[in-house]
Amino acid sequence: MIARRRVIGALALTSVVALSGCARGCTSSRPPIHLNPSMDDQPKVRAQTSSTFFYDGASMRQPVPGTIPIGGLNEDVAFFTGKGPDGQFIATIPVPVNEALVERGRQRSAIYCQPCHDARGDGKGILFQRGNVPTASFHQEKVLKYTDGQIFDVITNGVGLMAGYRWPIPPADRWAIVAYVRDLQRKRLASAPAAPTSAEGKLPSASATDPADKTAAKPAGIK
Amino acid sequence: VSRTYWRSLAQLEDRPEFRAALEREFLEEGPSELPEGITRRDMMMLLGASLSLAGLAGCRRPVEEIVPFVTAPEDVVPGIPRYYATTMPFRRSAYGLIVESHEGRPTKVEGNPAHPSTLGASSSIVQASVLGLYDPDRSQSVTQQGARKSWNDFVTAWGQLSAAHASDGGAGLAILSESFCGPTMARLATELRERYPKMQWATYDAVSDESRLAGLKAATGRDVDLMLRFDQAAVILALDADPLLTDPEMFRHARGFAAGRSAGATGGTTSTLREPQGRPEPSRGATGSGQAMNRLYAVEGVFSLTGAMADHRLRLQSRQIAPFLGALAARLGAPGASAGAGVPGLDPRWIDALAKDLLANRGTGLIVAGERQPAAVHAAVCALNTHLGNTGKTVSYYEMKDAALPSVASLVSLVSAMNAGTIKTLVVLGGNPVFDAPADLDFAAAMAKVPETIALGHTVDETSVKAKWHIPRAHYLESWGDVRAAGGTLSVVQPLILPLFGGKSTFEVLGLMAAGQDRPGYDIVRETLTLILGEDEFDKKWNRVLHEGFLAGSEFPELAPAFAGEPFAELGRLSAGSASAGQAASASSGDMEIVFLPSPALHDGRFANDGWLQELPDPLTKLTWDNPALVSPKTAERLSLANEQMIRIDYSGRSLELPVYILPGMADGVVALTVGYGRSRAGRIGSGVGFDTYKVRTSKASGFDSGATLTKIARSYSLSATQTHGSMEGRPIVRESTVTELRSRPSTAEHKPDAQKPAAEEAHAAASPQPAKKGTMSALGVFPEETHHFSLWKEHVYDQGNQWGMTIDLNACIGCNACMTACQSENNVPVVGKIQVAKGREMHWIRVDRYFSGEPAGSPEVVFQPVPCMHCEDAPCEQVCPVAATVHDAQGLNTMVYNRCIGTRYCSNNCPYKVRRFNFFNFTKDTPDILKLAMNPDVTVRARGVMEKCTYCTQRINRVKIDAKLAGRAIKDGDVKTACQQACPASAIEFGDLRDQSSRVVKAKADPRNYALLEELNTKPRTTYLAKVRNPNADLAGVRTDALG
Repeated sequence: MIARRRVIGALALTSVVALSGCARGCTSSRPPIHLNPSMDDQPKVRAQTSSTFFYDGASMRQPVPGTIPIGGLNEDVAFFTGKGPDGQFIATIPVPVNEALVERGRQRSAIYCQPCHDARGDGKGILFQRGNVPTASFHQEKVLKYTDGQIFDVITNGVGLMAGYRWPIPPADRWAIVAYVRDLQRKRLASAPAAPTSAEGKLPSASATDPADKTAAKPAGIK
Repeated sequence: VSRTYWRSLAQLEDRPEFRAALEREFLEEGPSELPEGITRRDMMMLLGASLSLAGLAGCRRPVEEIVPFVTAPEDVVPGIPRYYATTMPFRRSAYGLIVESHEGRPTKVEGNPAHPSTLGASSSIVQASVLGLYDPDRSQSVTQQGARKSWNDFVTAWGQLSAAHASDGGAGLAILSESFCGPTMARLATELRERYPKMQWATYDAVSDESRLAGLKAATGRDVDLMLRFDQAAVILALDADPLLTDPEMFRHARGFAAGRSAGATGGTTSTLREPQGRPEPSRGATGSGQAMNRLYAVEGVFSLTGAMADHRLRLQSRQIAPFLGALAARLGAPGASAGAGVPGLDPRWIDALAKDLLANRGTGLIVAGERQPAAVHAAVCALNTHLGNTGKTVSYYEMKDAALPSVASLVSLVSAMNAGTIKTLVVLGGNPVFDAPADLDFAAAMAKVPETIALGHTVDETSVKAKWHIPRAHYLESWGDVRAAGGTLSVVQPLILPLFGGKSTFEVLGLMAAGQDRPGYDIVRETLTLILGEDEFDKKWNRVLHEGFLAGSEFPELAPAFAGEPFAELGRLSAGSASAGQAASASSGDMEIVFLPSPALHDGRFANDGWLQELPDPLTKLTWDNPALVSPKTAERLSLANEQMIRIDYSGRSLELPVYILPGMADGVVALTVGYGRSRAGRIGSGVGFDTYKVRTSKASGFDSGATLTKIARSYSLSATQTHGSMEGRPIVRESTVTELRSRPSTAEHKPDAQKPAAEEAHAAASPQPAKKGTMSALGVFPEETHHFSLWKEHVYDQGNQWGMTIDLNACIGCNACMTACQSENNVPVVGKIQVAKGREMHWIRVDRYFSGEPAGSPEVVFQPVPCMHCEDAPCEQVCPVAATVHDAQGLNTMVYNRCIGTRYCSNNCPYKVRRFNFFNFTKDTPDILKLAMNPDVTVRARGVMEKCTYCTQRINRVKIDAKLAGRAIKDGDVKTACQQACPASAIEFGDLRDQSSRVVKAKADPRNYALLEELNTKPRTTYLAKVRNPNADLAGVRTDALG
């Protein structure tokens, strides 16, 4: 008798569950019901997840200051920081400049720079249009006077309102963007009436890899 | 030669119980029963209850949050691991490592190929060290008498203590450390000594090479140590030594030994060891081009891994090594050596043949003595190596710098000072003396008499719990440091993560004491390196050292030992006493020899809380989670002991009760005890596991001694061994040959006949050609179909893309188990515990089978065989899976789709190799948060009811494929390394693309020794084996391998 009562009780409970569970068609602030959770949530730590172990709640840890990963020696200081051994910004791009590099810079720039600085580098990007956020133009006097290393440093560490892009853009791509920015400036100067007439409108050929040719991408008369 | 292989004594006896157990896949009734008495019926009820509760409370999809970096570090791409070079300090060695870091969390450790001590290899201990970092029982704060304190509290307290001690020059101050070798530690120790000139410093290692150092000092008069070059050695004699496993430098030894082993084993055409009778040949090259296979002689009392690899093994008690060496030295004509009494009962032909071989290979011979042998033996070995012209070729010496050498005497004098009350402050700088100090010193009682005790430890261990102050010790993956490797190479310890619990390294604690101010380890180490590298361009040099992990060219200069004194005189005195003792031992049950062994897994007990190491089967006994006393079959018979029988050992006024295990190949009259087990405060894994054998170990005899008595106790204790699991029913599984046979029959590895196999089939198999014939590789997948094989299924053609395959060289494999732990770390393999192992439910994806052959009461020969999934092209498991959870992919991998698996276990039942593992329980369900960090994020953590097995490290294959595609290049041979392959110190495993005709794996498969396991089943396994080759000395055929009647 007791057993039967138990069975009935269990059935009643099950029906309540079935009614209240409402797996589909109901709105709920809680996550959906998941009857077979096997291996959906594994006891391992994946990238960009939270952690209840670390005090800051993040499972991703900063590298220990001072450590050097394999391949992270970065001994070419000029290439990685844009500064020479004297701590001053280097004048020219430390990699061979050719059309491929400028094209790479154009692609990267379209991803990372264009939203603010716009396609022509006038600082009239979407941020300016909608938020009226003052954004620097590549063609203003100040920027024209920057050395290549200084532009690299701005991309790396940011300046003013602009954030640093050291994480999303690897150094080689930052130099490509520098080359592209220089290309933009040179073309603008060439088309402007006040531009020095000596500035030729062509890049060195794509095969030019002589380091001496690096400066060729630089608009003449900028400095 | 017909040879019968056996896995255990029970198999040899072949009782009905054993047959019955063998026929079951899992060893106990009701494989699905939960422990703790919950029945299947209860389980169904619980299941029903949890289902009905599901709608009310649980079973909601977990809330997952995305937590990016706030300040993203340059070069870290989430999901892409980065690698750091660092160093694991271990005793006075330094293991150069490459550590994989997933977003700042170290998850996997590999050897650094450029580092001279690891050469890219690793061991179980190295692999498992990453689990030590994430040990949930690590101590989490500084404590003072059990109360939580901060590090600053300790710094303040130390300030007062240090002022008090400064007044009397540190007369009441004592430091107890482990031995070390590193410039920063040496510098800080010197500074501390300047500050407190009267302080006492003791250095103690429970597992120590003190007697070797003492022997070398006696022989040369200087503090020297040696480096062994196995790759240069043609004839090796190991005297009670285990250079291939428990020696800290086992990587180099194993790599060199395997290289010398592979030489001449690849086809038998040029295998010519310089036979003593033969004409002398020019000195053989190091590896590869060297033509002769090396020959290993082992003389030992306890069956070691080195003994298992030996071509000739002589069973002698440890105390008989000295007389044996004396007789050998006399036979070799060493000046000053006298034969003495020799070893009674030993066939003189053994020494004659050995001496002949050593004399014929002057300059390419090598004699090595074990750490537990007395100093006189080491001194004599040093003199003999020089006498034979081996010094500078197969063995070199160097003078040690920056080192604190182990000394039991220093501990003895420290303890007597503690007991006398002259020590006011004791600092235990790492180590666990309360647990592992010699029993006669009673360190705990002496420690109680010291008013201020400070202990640095990873956990609140036996020592820390008795100390007034406990400081959590930083793991090597959390700390900055520098150490010197054996040979002197300066290696840097670079942290992978900030200390998880604010631990402090020995450098920081010693730095505080030496300088009186709290400084970070980074500054201390940089300061030392400035002295070494010079201030000029220091940052650049420092960064390079960090990047490489070590300073190239910093090794100590080689030293030609000049002999002082009479190395053989002391040996003669030693021999006189021990030879007669050995003889007496055979007669009576009293006066057995007691031998203390380091644990191959836990070492001296420091790794006791590491589940991977606890569950790692011992290489020879295949026991997990325990340390029984080991005796030989004859000794067991004499004392009427059986496996799992409890015994009492009485020795030097102390006694110990523990179970006994009968290991064939042990010397008779020896009882061997493994140290490191039986810890009371190791943590949730290691506490109370096994038996504390330090309780009977004294300061007078830390290696071996006479005078032990065994008494049977009417109790038994169950042991969990893996050796009888997954038997392959006596089929010809391991194959071996000898150099001579290989030479005469170059195209065939010897096919081992077996008693159970019909003779006709055997003859057929023996006559059949080798499985991998050149030129037919592309016809049908990778393997040609043999004429007598026919398939029930339409054959799939694997002729596109990469086709992965593996070879395992049984001739190189030393059975060290490094592959097992490497696989466990890479593939998130769970630990199941002793009870589950007893039921045959261990989860290792690769196991190392150990086969004995020969007379069990004598010195049986051993073959090790690592067995992962064979990745059969015609996989029997796939054909029986009802839900297609295990299927083949286009690269020839036999893959597991975990989500599909419903746990029928048909696949496991149908697998002829027994390599599939089933999750009987949710072994990872209650994983603590900290242990989740140790899991490889690239590999699924399997749940209950899911079958799993070796995947050929499919995640590594995919990583390489992605990288190659991004870089726009093809995958090169050697780009993909499986975890087991990468770890293997002997380079026994090759893995690669079978369609790449130039790949190493294809070349290995073309070796005539290549054979497939259970080839007659036509499963066409992608993993094949290369047969083992022995190199016996013809002069020793039929000579007795022991000395006692």
